[in-house]
Amino acid sequence: MRPTHSGTMSKVKNKKRNLEENEDEQLPIFDKDGGKDGHLDDGDEDQGDLSDSEESVFSGLEDSGSDSDDEEEEEDDDEEEDGTEEKSSDVEEDKAADGDGDDQLSAKEVTEPQTDGQHSKENKKKKKTAGKEGGEESVVSARDSGLQTSSQVDEYEHDTSDEEDIRNTVGNIPMEWYKDYPHIGYDLDGKKIFKPIRNKDELDEFLDKMENPDYWRTVQDKMTGADIRLSDEQVDLVHRLQEGKFGDVNFNEYEPAIDFFSNEVMIHPVTNRPQDKRSFIPSLIEKEKVGKLVHAIKMGWIKPRRPKETTPQYYDLWAKEDPNSILGRHKMHVPAPKLKLPGHEESYNPPPEYLMSEEERLAWEQQDPEDRKLSFLPQKFACLRAVPAYSRFIHERFERCLDLYLCPRQRKMRVNVNPEDLIPKLPKPKDLQPFPTTQSLVYRGHSSLVRSISTSPSGQWLVSGSDDCTVRFWEVSTARCLKTVEVGGAVKGVAWNPNPSICLVAISYDDTVVLLNPGLGDRLVSTATDQQISSYEEPEEVKEQPVQWTVAEGEGHEQGHRLILKHPKAVRQVTWHGKGDYLACVMPDNGSSLQVVIHQVSKRRTQNPFRKNKGLVQCVSFHPIRPYFFVATQRYVRVYNLIKQELTKKLMANCKWISSMATHPGGDNVICGSYDCRLAWFDLDLSTKPYKVLRHHKKALRSVAYHRHYPLFASGSDDGSVIVCHGMVYNDLLQNPLIVPVKVLKGHTITHDLGVLDVTFHPTQPWVFSSGADGTVRLFT
Amino acid sequence: MSQVQARFFTENKKYLVDDVPFSIPAASEVADLSGVINKLLEANHDGHKHVEFDFLVRGQFLRTKLANHMETENISTEEVVEIEYVEKFTAPQPEECIMHDDWISSVEADSEWILTGSYDKTARIWSMEGKAVMTVAGHTDVVKDVAWVKRDGLSSLLLTTSLDQTIMLWEWNSERNEVKARHCCRGHAGSVDTVAVDPSRTKFCSGSWDKMLKIWSAVPTVEEDEMEEHNRPRKKQKTEQMGLTRTPLMTISGHNEAVSSVLWMDAEELCSASWDHTIRLWDAETGGQKSTLTGNKVFNCISYSPLCRRLASGSTDRHVRLWDPRSKDGSLVLLSLTSHNGWVTAVRWSPSHEHQLVSGSLDNVVKLWDTRSCKAPLYDLAAHEDKVLCVDWTENGLILSGGADNKLYTYRYSTCVSDAGA
Repeated sequence: MRPTHSGTMSKVKNKKRNLEENEDEQLPIFDKDGGKDGHLDDGDEDQGDLSDSEESVFSGLEDSGSDSDDEEEEEDDDEEEDGTEEKSSDVEEDKAADGDGDDQLSAKEVTEPQTDGQHSKENKKKKKTAGKEGGEESVVSARDSGLQTSSQVDEYEHDTSDEEDIRNTVGNIPMEWYKDYPHIGYDLDGKKIFKPIRNKDELDEFLDKMENPDYWRTVQDKMTGADIRLSDEQVDLVHRLQEGKFGDVNFNEYEPAIDFFSNEVMIHPVTNRPQDKRSFIPSLIEKEKVGKLVHAIKMGWIKPRRPKETTPQYYDLWAKEDPNSILGRHKMHVPAPKLKLPGHEESYNPPPEYLMSEEERLAWEQQDPEDRKLSFLPQKFACLRAVPAYSRFIHERFERCLDLYLCPRQRKMRVNVNPEDLIPKLPKPKDLQPFPTTQSLVYRGHSSLVRSISTSPSGQWLVSGSDDCTVRFWEVSTARCLKTVEVGGAVKGVAWNPNPSICLVAISYDDTVVLLNPGLGDRLVSTATDQQISSYEEPEEVKEQPVQWTVAEGEGHEQGHRLILKHPKAVRQVTWHGKGDYLACVMPDNGSSLQVVIHQVSKRRTQNPFRKNKGLVQCVSFHPIRPYFFVATQRYVRVYNLIKQELTKKLMANCKWISSMATHPGGDNVICGSYDCRLAWFDLDLSTKPYKVLRHHKKALRSVAYHRHYPLFASGSDDGSVIVCHGMVYNDLLQNPLIVPVKVLKGHTITHDLGVLDVTFHPTQPWVFSSGADGTVRLFT
Repeated sequence: MSQVQARFFTENKKYLVDDVPFSIPAASEVADLSGVINKLLEANHDGHKHVEFDFLVRGQFLRTKLANHMETENISTEEVVEIEYVEKFTAPQPEECIMHDDWISSVEADSEWILTGSYDKTARIWSMEGKAVMTVAGHTDVVKDVAWVKRDGLSSLLLTTSLDQTIMLWEWNSERNEVKARHCCRGHAGSVDTVAVDPSRTKFCSGSWDKMLKIWSAVPTVEEDEMEEHNRPRKKQKTEQMGLTRTPLMTISGHNEAVSSVLWMDAEELCSASWDHTIRLWDAETGGQKSTLTGNKVFNCISYSPLCRRLASGSTDRHVRLWDPRSKDGSLVLLSLTSHNGWVTAVRWSPSHEHQLVSGSLDNVVKLWDTRSCKAPLYDLAAHEDKVLCVDWTENGLILSGGADNKLYTYRYSTCVSDAGA
C-alpha cells in the first residue's frame, strides 16, 4: 500500500512543483520518495537520512567489531548492510560504493519484510560470539560493550512475546534462579553459558566507580551477566527516552502535517476499484420488509397516527392559589366582628357587685337603649331552674345578624391627598424681597379725591391731581407739599415727563391738557425746558389741527403753566412716551373717531392716529422701547405698530370692562385691571389670552402699575387696598413669568365707595405710592 | 420663691458696696434691686440720700424681672450673677419749645447758639433760652441743612444748604447782630441735602440729590470780590446780597442715588450715606473710595461717635443700625435698635457718652438709646406732634429735635443726677 500511496502523492507533489518552482520544499518525506523517483542530487542526502533513521538499529549490529563509529562509517555500514543481506556478517568486509545507493535502497525496500529474519540470524551469530568470548572476557572493553548494547538494543527492538531470546535458552524466567550457579543458562547448543567472573569486592567496586570514567554508563546484562558499557548513542537514546522524547534523533515530531484528503479534487480516485454489482440492484431484504409493512397496513394491522384531540382543556385558575399570597383576596379579608364573651353580669347568680342598685336601675331605665352600657338588667335567681326564658333572645340574634351583615367586608384604600400639596409651589414672599410692606408716609393736603399721581424721573418729587381742582407737588422723602397749582377743573390725569432732561408735567382737566413746568429739580433743566418752549417758532403753513395749542401767559405762567391744549372733548388720561416728546391723550367717547390723540410737544403738532375707533377707549400706553401703541377698549387691548400703521395684535382680556393698563418696562408683558375685580397678565409672546388672571381684589380695580426696575407690580382697587405682586419676567424666552402676590397694603379709607384710585411706583426704590378717594397719597415702603 | 445668688459691683466709687454675694429673689425687678442697694448704702454711710439705680447683667440693662432676663440671655441661675449697677439715667428735662414758621429741616447747636434751617427758606439763630436772635434769609428755596463752621469771638461762620442747589457761607457778628453772605457755593445739580464741616474747620463737604459729594473751602476770601468789581458792576449788586460765587475744590462721585447724609470721620476720611443703600467711606485728600457698607434699605442719616468708633445709621425701615466702619467685610451690622414705627430720619451720638445716642423718626418720637439696652430705648421723647426731621446733641448736654410741627424742642439731659448737680 505504501508505495502506491507515496507514488500518488509524489506525483501530486511534482505537479505542484511544476506549478510553483520557487516554493521551498516543505514536505521532506515525499522528497525522499521524490528523490527515489529520479532526483538524484537530492536523493543522496535524503536517502542517507532516511536509511539512517530507519536502520540505525542495524548499524549497531553490523558495527560490532568495526573500528570507527563516525558518520561516514555508519553510512557505509548502511549501504553494506542493505546490499549484503546474503553476505556473511563479516564486518570489515565491505565498502560499498555510494553510487548504487538508489538501487540498493529500492532493493532494501522490497526486501524489507525479510529484515526480521535477517536480524534473528545476526542475533544468533552474535550469541555465538558472545558465548565464545563469554568465559575469557573478564572486562568488557568499552567498544565491546557498545557492541553488546547495540545488539541489546536491537534485541529489545525486535523482542516480542512469541519470540524468544535465542542467546540464552532458559526462556522467560526470573534470572535469580541461576543466582547460585556458575552459569546463567544454556545456549542453542545446550551448552552452559557461564557467568562472567565476578571477583570484584566492594573496594574494587568503589575504585572502579572512582577511577573508571565510564562507570556510570556500565550496566549488567541480566541474560548474560556481562557488564556492558553503553555507547554515546545509547546513552543519548536513554536520555531521550527518559525525557519522554522520541527515540530517534532524526525524527521530527513537529513535521508539518500533510492533509492527505485535501480539498483539492484529484483526478484519480484513491481506490480504483469498480463498484459492486449490488449497488445497482434493489435490495431484496428491503423489498421484503416493505412488502410486509404494506401488507400489514392493508390488513389494518398498522394504523395511521391517531388524530389529536381538539377538545379544549381547562384548568382551575384558583386551584393553586397561594393562601398567603398578598395579591389574593385575603389581603382584604376582614374578620367578622366577634361577639363579646359573657361576663359575670350575665350569670343567673351574679356577684352582688354586678347587681344594680335601685338608683342605677332607674338611671338605666332613663337612658336611651343605644346609650345603655348593658342591654339587660343583671338579675339574680336562686337556682338555674328558676331562670325564665330570655325574652330578648330573638332581638339579640337579629342584632347579631345585622352586625354581621353590616360589617365592612373590605378595607377601603383611601388615598389621602393633602389639599395643600395640590397647590403649586410658589416661593415665599420673604424670599422675594424687596417689596413695599408698610405705610411710611401720608401726603395730606388735598381736600377731595386724588385721581392721579406721578413721580418725577429722579424720584425726588411726586405730583398728584385731585378733584379739588389743584395739582400738588410733594417732596417724596418728607411728604412736604412744596407747590400747589390751581387749575380750572377737577384734575383727571397727571403725568410727569419721563425724560430727565425735560421738566414738564402734563395735567388734564375737563377738555384741557396743561403742560406745566413745576420748577423743581435741577434749575438748569427747568430753564432749558422753558427756553425750548418759548423758542418755538410757528411753522409757515399751519395745518388744521383737532387740538388748539396756546402758550400760557400771565398768572398761569407764573404758576408754571407753559402750554395749554384745548381738546374738543373731556380728556381722561394723559401719558408720555418714554422719550418725552410725544404725549397721548384719551377722550373716551363711544362711536367717535376722535378718542385718542397724540401730541408732539416740540413741534406742537397733534395727530389722530386712528381713523376709526372700535369701542370705548379706556386707556392707552406707549411701548417702552419699540414703536408700538397699546389701546385698551372695554374688552380688548389692541396693539398697533405706529410705523407700519397697522394692528399687530388684539389681546382678549376675558373681562367685562378694562379700567387700567400698564406695560412692563421690557415691553413684552402687559397687565390690565378691570372693573370686575380681575387683573390680567398678558405675555405678548405667548398668546392673545391672559397668561394669568389674578382675582385678589374684592372690588373693581382702578389702577395698575409696573415698577421700572424691580420685578414688582401693584394694583389699586375700590376696596381700599393695594396689592403688590412679584412679577418676574425672565430673559429666557422659555421661562414663563413668575407671578407671586406678596403683599396687601391697606391704609386708604373708603369714601363714596371709592378706595384707591391710582398707584405708581417710585422710579428707583421698591416703594409704591397710592392715591385714594380720601384725599391722601400714601407711600408704602 | 426662687433665689438667685448675685454680686453687685459698680464703677462709681461713691456707691461701692461690699463685694459679697447676696441671695435675692429671682422675681425682683429694677426697683427692688435699687432698694437693696440703697439699704446697703444707708447701712454703710449715714447721710445717704436715696438714689435710683439701673442694673446691667453682662452688659445688658435689666428691664424685666431678673429671672426672665437671665432666661432670655441664657444665664445660668446656678452661679453667682455679677450685676453692675449705675446711677439711673434721669429723664431728659424739657427746656424750651421754640416755634418756627415752617417745618424745621435741620438743627445744629453749639454751647451758646442754636442754628436751625427751615422750610420757610430761612435759617435762624436762637439763643439757648429760645430767643430769636437772627434770621438768615437769602435762599430761594427750602433750607435743608445748616452747620456752624467756626466761632471766634463775636463773629461766626455758618453754612446753610438749600433745595435751590446752593450752599451759602455766612458770617454773623453777634455783637452787631448782623449777618452777611460771604460766599454762595454753586455747582450741585440737585438739592443740597447735607453738609459737614471738617475737624480743621477749613473745609466742608456737601452731599446732594445729584449723587455727588463736593468739598469746598470754608475760608472766606475777599480777592474774588475785587476782581469782579471792575468787570461786572451790575453783578456786584447781586454779590452784595448773595455773596461771592465759589466753586468746589473737589467733586466725589460714586453713589448711584441721592446722597442723604455726609460726615467727616477725621480730617482725612469722609463718610456718606445714600439712597442707593450704601454707606461709603472716602479719602478726603484723593477723593477715592475706601470701603462700602451695604444695607438693604435707603439710608436717611448717619452719625459717628469717635468715643466708641461706631457709625449709627437711620434708614427707611424702623431700625437704627450700628456699624463698624473699620471692618473689612462691609455689610456687618453690629446691632440694630428697633423701637421706632417709622423711618428713622435723624440719629446723633452723644458727644460725651460712648453708649448713648438719640434718634428721631417719622413716627413723631425722639428716642434716647443706650447701646447696652438694644431691645428698648432708655427714654421716649414724645413731644412732637408731627414728623421729627432733625435731632442734635450738644456737648453741654442739650438734646434738640425739630420736626414738621414747626417746633424745636430742647431737653436738658445729664447722664446722672450727680453729674447734673456738678
